[in-house]
Amino acid sequence: MSDQIKIDFDKVIKNSNLTEKNVEIRKEYFNEFIKKGFPNKRVEEWKFSDLNQIISANIKDLSFFNDLSVRTSFDKSIILKNFDHNKIIFLNGIILKIDFDYEEKNKIEIIQNDDFEKINETHNPLINLNGAFRNSFLKLKIKEGYFVNKPLIIYHITDKEISQKNINQKIDIILENNSSLKVLNIFSDTSKNNFINIFQQFKLGKDSILKNYKIDFDMNSNIRYFYDNIDLDRNSLSENFILSAGSKFIKNEINCNLKEEYSSAFINGIINLRETQHHEIKTNINHLAPNTKSYQLIKNVLNDNSKGVYQGKIFVDSKAQKTDGYQLSKAILLSENSEFNAKPELEIYADDVKCSHGSTSGNLDENAIFYLMSRGLSKRNANKLLINGFLIDVVEKITDVEIKRLILELIGANE
Amino acid sequence: MLSIKKLKAKIDNKDILKGLNLEIKPGEVHALMGPNGSGKSTLSNVLSGKKGYNISGEIIFEDKNLLELEIEERAHKGIFLAFQYPLEIPGVNTNIFLKTSLNAIKKSRGEKELDAIEFLKLIKQKTKELKFDDKILSRQLNVGFSGGEKKKNEILQMSILNPKLSILDETDSGLDIDALKIVSEGVNALRNKKSSFLIITHYQRLLNYIKPDFVHVLINGKIVKSGGPELAVELEKKGYESFN
Repeated sequence: MSDQIKIDFDKVIKNSNLTEKNVEIRKEYFNEFIKKGFPNKRVEEWKFSDLNQIISANIKDLSFFNDLSVRTSFDKSIILKNFDHNKIIFLNGIILKIDFDYEEKNKIEIIQNDDFEKINETHNPLINLNGAFRNSFLKLKIKEGYFVNKPLIIYHITDKEISQKNINQKIDIILENNSSLKVLNIFSDTSKNNFINIFQQFKLGKDSILKNYKIDFDMNSNIRYFYDNIDLDRNSLSENFILSAGSKFIKNEINCNLKEEYSSAFINGIINLRETQHHEIKTNINHLAPNTKSYQLIKNVLNDNSKGVYQGKIFVDSKAQKTDGYQLSKAILLSENSEFNAKPELEIYADDVKCSHGSTSGNLDENAIFYLMSRGLSKRNANKLLINGFLIDVVEKITDVEIKRLILELIGANE
Repeated sequence: MLSIKKLKAKIDNKDILKGLNLEIKPGEVHALMGPNGSGKSTLSNVLSGKKGYNISGEIIFEDKNLLELEIEERAHKGIFLAFQYPLEIPGVNTNIFLKTSLNAIKKSRGEKELDAIEFLKLIKQKTKELKFDDKILSRQLNVGFSGGEKKKNEILQMSILNPKLSILDETDSGLDIDALKIVSEGVNALRNKKSSFLIITHYQRLLNYIKPDFVHVLINGKIVKSGGPELAVELEKKGYESFN
């Protein structure tokens, strides 16, 4: 690890208004990170995506310190029109706006001071990096029994003001018992060659519902790691959808802990890449109580020299009888130079469970293309129709009608 | 309308068609009969432009060299192949597919494309005429369709696209007698002075319902005999053996 990071860390400590306790915690995180550095392919979880190599190949001089002055101007056209929503706007990693216009004010608690407990996550260097350098911290608490009316869109905007920077953000969202929330993370970048590290932590109370969607759609040269940790209490549900298509590299990692009975987790995703993009979805589903359920469906469309990775792990604790776990990944390789890697992992310690996994990859069916072209469609349109047909069942899994429509529009399958 | 001269086709270095000649004029219905492996499906594939064949000879369709046209351009010019085994296309809605197809062909001819309402009207009228259940239209293209439904769907497509030359590749195979009647009625309804048909079949059965003007016997990549409808009856009695 270069000296740059140490210099930058000292700057962070000097320039931020941190409490003594906070400085101590940050130092601990920092020292943990320095021990391991960025993960490389010798680390099992990173064997298909050597982050250390990816960062050094794409970012010449990575710096970790960010000037914390808050700016207010950004390209307003990024904000979705004709779509009522609450919003949180991050600009270059700094919170610019928090707006819950559609909600009852006393039902959502917003905490912004960075006085956090250190979490026991030391095995993941990127969580440590996040802890040491985070530019912004935000905690939302949805009060018991409250169903948030409109979706919350979290805009992650970066602009030309930053380049070759590491940005770290953390958001904690607590859903108290019998509450519900829809979150949509959207990226919008005009910046180049940054490494953006986002850590979201969800705690779902009893009978609560979280719909957690992500859209990485516009082509950009940034490198991202997006880690979600989701703890689920009794009879709570988390539905996750990832549209992974924009960044140069992104690894979306979702860790679901089904801690109590009748909790369930759904993770569906699309990886749609071209040129030299490289995206990974990594999931860990931990069935820790009886009668828990998980379902995963990931589809990949890979053009040119792109690379898609899916590592899906289902862990079933010896207590977690009657677990129902399912995962399937499929890939269409549209070029000889594209690559798909799938690593399904089942680790089961209970004897009365239903678990299955599968993975397929192949090309578009030439006979199907011939059939469609013989009905007057150009090759391009025939391919497009087949690809949309391949992807549509993942999109159909989205239970929120408005967000489903939005995503159908984005992938051009709404006709 | 269609003139095929000395057509030869090879696949994987195996000769399939070995100098085939065929002339189809506007409004005519031709039946092409032959045993398994005689080259019937290869002919329909070559006419509709499927890749993978090594082809020599000449196919002229309405003064155009058909062999120079792409698959979709042949569809635009008015060639339609009703598939022996229509493909199942998961995730693609039948209605959307039909509209996309019709509008692609209309666009290529400089005609106005149909909007959703105009298309709906047309499809309602066509399914009614053909006595088809329009429920299949909201399903994924051919996915989970019975054999009969798949073939009916081919005839529906034919009727909507209104081609000049329709090639029916063993459309009768796998059909029960009721489905066969419906499909035949569909074809007969489309017969007129301008549109022609090439009906490829093993059996004479279909020709009881669709009366051909000409019957050709294809054996080992060549047409060995041509005649009127009576030839089909003769074939049914004597079998293909007698033509070898």
